[in-house]
Amino acid sequence: MTRAFGVFAAALVVGVCVTVAYGLSTGFQRAASQADLPDVIVRFDTQDRAKVDARLRTIPGLEARSYRYEVTDVPLTFGSHFTGRGSVHVVTGGRRGYAIVPGRDARPGAREIVVEPGRARAWGITIGSTLDVGSAGALRVVGEGLEPDNVAFPVATAARVYLRPQLGGDFGVNLAQLWLRPGASLDAALTQARAQSFGVHGLSFITRTGVRALVGQAAGVVIALLVAFSLVALGVAAVMLGTAAHAEVRRGLASLGVRRALGFPRRMLARAAARRAALRALPAAALGLAAGWLAARGPSASLLATLNERPPGAAILLPLAACLAGVVVLVVAAATWPTWRATAGAPAALLRGGELAGRTATRLPLGSTPAALGARLVVARRGRYAGVVVLLAACAAVALLMLALASLLARLRDDPATLGKRYQLTVGADPSASRRIAQIPGVAAAAPRWQLSAVDSFALGEPMRIIAFPGDHTRFEAPPLASGRRLRGDGEAEVGSGLADALGLAPGGTLGIQLADGREVRFRVAGVVRALDNQGRIAYVAPGRLKPELAGLSPEIAVRLTPGADRGAVADRLSQLGLEPSQATGATGSGSSATVLDVLSAVLRVLAGAVGAVLLYALVQALALTATERRPTLALLRALGAPARTLGVVLGGAGLALVLPAAILAVLVERAVLGPLVARLTAGYADLALGATAGQAALVAAGLLVLAAAAAAWVGARARRAAIAPALRR
Amino acid sequence: MPPALRARDLVKSYGRGRAARRVLDGASLEVQRGELVAVVGRSGSGKSTLLHLLGGLDWPEEGWVEVGGERMDARRADALRARRIGFVFQAFHLVPELTGLENVLLAARLPGNRNGIAQRGAELVEQLGLGQVSGALPHELSGGEQQRFAIARALASDPDVVLADEPTGNLDAASGEQVLGLLGALSGEGRGVVVVTHEPAVVERATRVVELRDGRIA
Repeated sequence: MTRAFGVFAAALVVGVCVTVAYGLSTGFQRAASQADLPDVIVRFDTQDRAKVDARLRTIPGLEARSYRYEVTDVPLTFGSHFTGRGSVHVVTGGRRGYAIVPGRDARPGAREIVVEPGRARAWGITIGSTLDVGSAGALRVVGEGLEPDNVAFPVATAARVYLRPQLGGDFGVNLAQLWLRPGASLDAALTQARAQSFGVHGLSFITRTGVRALVGQAAGVVIALLVAFSLVALGVAAVMLGTAAHAEVRRGLASLGVRRALGFPRRMLARAAARRAALRALPAAALGLAAGWLAARGPSASLLATLNERPPGAAILLPLAACLAGVVVLVVAAATWPTWRATAGAPAALLRGGELAGRTATRLPLGSTPAALGARLVVARRGRYAGVVVLLAACAAVALLMLALASLLARLRDDPATLGKRYQLTVGADPSASRRIAQIPGVAAAAPRWQLSAVDSFALGEPMRIIAFPGDHTRFEAPPLASGRRLRGDGEAEVGSGLADALGLAPGGTLGIQLADGREVRFRVAGVVRALDNQGRIAYVAPGRLKPELAGLSPEIAVRLTPGADRGAVADRLSQLGLEPSQATGATGSGSSATVLDVLSAVLRVLAGAVGAVLLYALVQALALTATERRPTLALLRALGAPARTLGVVLGGAGLALVLPAAILAVLVERAVLGPLVARLTAGYADLALGATAGQAALVAAGLLVLAAAAAAWVGARARRAAIAPALRR
Repeated sequence: MPPALRARDLVKSYGRGRAARRVLDGASLEVQRGELVAVVGRSGSGKSTLLHLLGGLDWPEEGWVEVGGERMDARRADALRARRIGFVFQAFHLVPELTGLENVLLAARLPGNRNGIAQRGAELVEQLGLGQVSGALPHELSGGEQQRFAIARALASDPDVVLADEPTGNLDAASGEQVLGLLGALSGEGRGVVVVTHEPAVVERATRVVELRDGRIA
């Protein structure tokens, strides 16, 4: 019963992980197919539909197109619920690009409306109820429309609704949806669309792949952590299964000896063990996987709903079946291999309940104190020792990664230096004030900082942020250089990795920007920097070529303090001069993004705690197995007069031998593998330093020691309760 | 001076319900210092159980045990085993990861044990002719050598009583003879020695032979 429960528990963990991971990894594709998401979504300033259609209809490979008119910031009211951020999509016919999940689509001309599922869930909107939509008044809700081109409420703050008014004659649109024929070239279509869009303002393109990447980026941290957590859980499950199977074989050694003595061949015994294990594992694993699926189905569906994605439904059966086969194979292998090894020895040894074959002690220079003896006991099973150390190291590395990630998020929120900003205060003032500000005690440097929005003039529509400092900008903002060099004159620019990726820019290339007044300015790309601000869609330039535009802008003065300067004192001095200083912020400053980072940070810390629980479990399992296997040795110590607490010391030594190398390995794995991997997953456009600090490494190492002590105390207490004499009879 | 060991009216049962069996049913034994007592009896007569109760490895349902005049109870059992009792097992029970010498010195490493145990243990290894193999691991030793290391370990704390459970059961005749010689010498040093055995050779060397029959010392 206990062994079957072990298989059940392991399968349950696997079931949970697979349900969540499979749902997340395939959710977008499923939702996109169901919603008939277009290959390209084009947004632009309102244009006459006929004119837009005339330009887009010639795009090569185009299978279908449809248009919408999107109105933002529309007030929506439902009962006591209200938002001023309603996004009304006026659907003008053709393929609609969203799926009706419950209900039906709105009929043209009827006073009917379709709402997005996230908002319907949050506000309790049911089909048949009435929603007040700005000047359109009360409209009857007839369905929920799922459109996976964005995440859902509450992650997205806007509330999307769909209307189908009776439209006569021509009308304006600001959103086009393009479907390409299978096999048609997306690049060719995009190039043609951009070329056809000359003169169209406010243009932006997003492809289906781009949507997937954006949504993936939003969920990237969660998915990466879930994958890491799943791997850890699977490792623990494997150890659980292996341990249970091994313990079973140990209990049945005498029985194996009898059968060997009666002439049963090894192969037959191994086959019988495999059959028994399979018969036991199959129902337990099936039940465990089903329970895991049931437990994770709801939360996973909620998470998918937040991403505007669909749960896998019956499609989950295939991966669950594969997992069932995997768990059964693992259990069978874990039961058969020790049986095969055990029966290699003489039947007489088995009848005496002898050790499993292949055990030869090794001389280790560890001393013979009780703690050192414990270390020797656990190291004696070299293969298992290595496996447990690797498992503990993996768990600890994940915990370390989560701590590093949590502190990075906090730094991103609070510390401007994380974004390469070297100034601590900003002041809204005329550029001429910068010299006066620079003379304030505690101020190292002050310079005007201009910031303006522009679009790429070649690809027509890639938005970017231009930042201009007079002189050397790295005194104030210095994101790390990924390639090339720093800019040297008015004609050069440093571009962020995000912008470089979007426009295919490299050092030596040309950045053409179109300013708000339509003027085009070109810069030679001197270098590419790993900037996190504005998703890396940023360019640093000298102000020379932008003088006409900058003349009409009010810059802020960036104020860099001397090391150790009192920020408050400098801010007071600036206030005395009649200026209003602001503190330079991190990625988000304040508001909902900061709240999200706070929540994510807290979630990461909770997950680190959960990994700690997994670590404790793995340590208890490893020490309990050692205590079970070495019962005679522990009993001998008691027979020699060792006080009961000595068993705790012995097991503490065993725990120490496990966690010390695991801690070192964990730091190496986090720094060399996990940190860089997750940094790339979560923000490929920037340089995220996810290497754990010495303090965090020390914290995790200390945590491991505490967990080892707790596990040793727990297992030691159990070992103390075991009778001495029976263990010595073996 | 109190006897090395006294046990009175020991009762011990195994199993439950219809399968319950009273292995010891009022067994009493007194061992004087310098005595080598052989406990004999049929298989399953409770010889090993008696030895375990005498050594505080298990607890009687009724009756009591005194070692060197000190009553054995749960609170003091660890200390009594450490100071006054040495065990020798048929299966030797050497820790396979420790060398022969380290096994002997194991008692010295335990918290609360007296100073001088390590030195005495090292001397015993030499006295028992094990100096040459003191750095060998148990699986590199012969059965006789392993049992001599086990005896050295039992004597390292200079106990009043040595309890041996079939000490020659896993040894060849020559090694068995050597071990019996050692046990005889132990009683000669003023210790009480109790040996549970089936072996006539042990019985021949014993100063007193007691038989365990129907749960009592006959």
